[in-house]
Amino acid sequence: MMYNLYVERDSILHRLDPRVKILSSLLGILAMILFNSPYLLFILFTLLSLSLRFLGKISFKEQIKVLKPLTPLIIITIAIWPFILEPKTFGLFIGLGYALRLASMAMITFGLLMTTTQRELILGFIKLKMPYEIGLTLTIALRYIPTLFNLAQTIIDAQKSRGLELEKGNFFSKIKKTVPVLIPLIIASIKTAHELSIALESRAFGANKKRTFLYTIEMKGKDYIALIIVFLLFGLALYARYQLGIGYVKLY
Amino acid sequence: MIEVKNLWHIYEGRKIALKDVSLTIENEILALVGPNGSGKTTLAKHLNGLLKPTKGDVIVDGINTKEASVAELSRIVGYVFQNPEHMFFEENVFKEVAFGPKNLGLSKDEIEKRVEWALRSVNLKGYEDRSPYSLSGGEKQRLAIACMLAMNPKYLILDEPTTGLDAKSAESVKEVIRKLKEKGHGIMLITHDMELVLELAERVVLLYEGIKVFDGTINEFFQLDLRNYDLDKPELLKISERLSVGFVRNINEFVTSLLRRMRA
Repeated sequence: MMYNLYVERDSILHRLDPRVKILSSLLGILAMILFNSPYLLFILFTLLSLSLRFLGKISFKEQIKVLKPLTPLIIITIAIWPFILEPKTFGLFIGLGYALRLASMAMITFGLLMTTTQRELILGFIKLKMPYEIGLTLTIALRYIPTLFNLAQTIIDAQKSRGLELEKGNFFSKIKKTVPVLIPLIIASIKTAHELSIALESRAFGANKKRTFLYTIEMKGKDYIALIIVFLLFGLALYARYQLGIGYVKLY
Repeated sequence: MIEVKNLWHIYEGRKIALKDVSLTIENEILALVGPNGSGKTTLAKHLNGLLKPTKGDVIVDGINTKEASVAELSRIVGYVFQNPEHMFFEENVFKEVAFGPKNLGLSKDEIEKRVEWALRSVNLKGYEDRSPYSLSGGEKQRLAIACMLAMNPKYLILDEPTTGLDAKSAESVKEVIRKLKEKGHGIMLITHDMELVLELAERVVLLYEGIKVFDGTINEFFQLDLRNYDLDKPELLKISERLSVGFVRNINEFVTSLLRRMRA
């Protein structure tokens, strides 16, 4: 079960302030939308992968592992463009570019998640003025994925002990067989949520508009430098795209 | 007879849960005791095939659990999980109990007969149309037992059957356990409630850090120094020891032996 992508390492990217990483990721995704030239997108993708490898100490193998689930989407992207654009080879070429763009955007997001702990990430979002309640909801949701997974396992064991054979049968009978697992799971989840809300309220959740934090984050010299570099790079991308006209292929 | 032969279980992530455990289970009330994390549940889950041995064998009435599915074994070994709510999903008690027999592919008549009999065995006759979630704690526990009984297993594993129940509900569950024993079922109680062990068990197996450290009669068991295993004797036994009235299993026995001693 992959519920947490974070990879524990000691790297420059890991040590950066989460706010810097969140903003950089947003700008990075925007930059990807600027260009559609497959050549340039390929260069950007390579640079991205290399910087994750050398600045974030995320090996190529780990990068491939998180991108793998996207394979169908990438193949569809490549396959669909030849039907839209003439000539077909040109369509395929552009499709390849769009696939690279998609992979790059995913890589940026995964890069953020792989180098930032959940706690830092949520703290980063809150410091960027996201309401605290949403941050807490996110934390709880992430925290409860493994718990629910274990609970589901217990329920499956209990129903198997009553002779339920989840593996047998065709597609539809398999769907029907999930009912004895889903109903206890949903009921237990609702009960847990209800107890959790009582526990939160009994610890004075929401009593004060302004909150203090036990763990806090602070922008240091290196964070400002990183932020400046990222903005400069983004400026460079805008300049290249709109002043020099690099990286854009006319489609029609 | 269930035979556990040199059973080892190692979970993914290399945690050794059971180390070379061997034992046999027959038609008796066996208490499987031990502190938290001693491997009780891991051992019990091997008996109906939910877990397969890393090394060693578990033979249930001649069937090696490695070669049988949980569904096949569920005809012989019933496993009542600790939290009954983890298995309830039907709209009423009747359908809930019928779920197991249905999975066994029995005829409609046979299912109805089995449900009837199972509900009567746990004193829940007349509850057929109630929602399982509307029952009290003790009733839920008894319903969970009925769900397993309807599959007519020879052995019944009960995981902490009285934990969290009030005295009256706990008593009703204990009564059902005694009745089942009389009907010839082999019963395994997984618990660290020593009062329950003293009241019900005939034989005790003690696990500690995945190793079977004791296997013997209840009388012998309570002669161990249980504090070495993060457990403690029931208060009744502590008092009877102080007053040197010997081994007693309940208040009545205690009073009788005390009076006999005083007269002597």
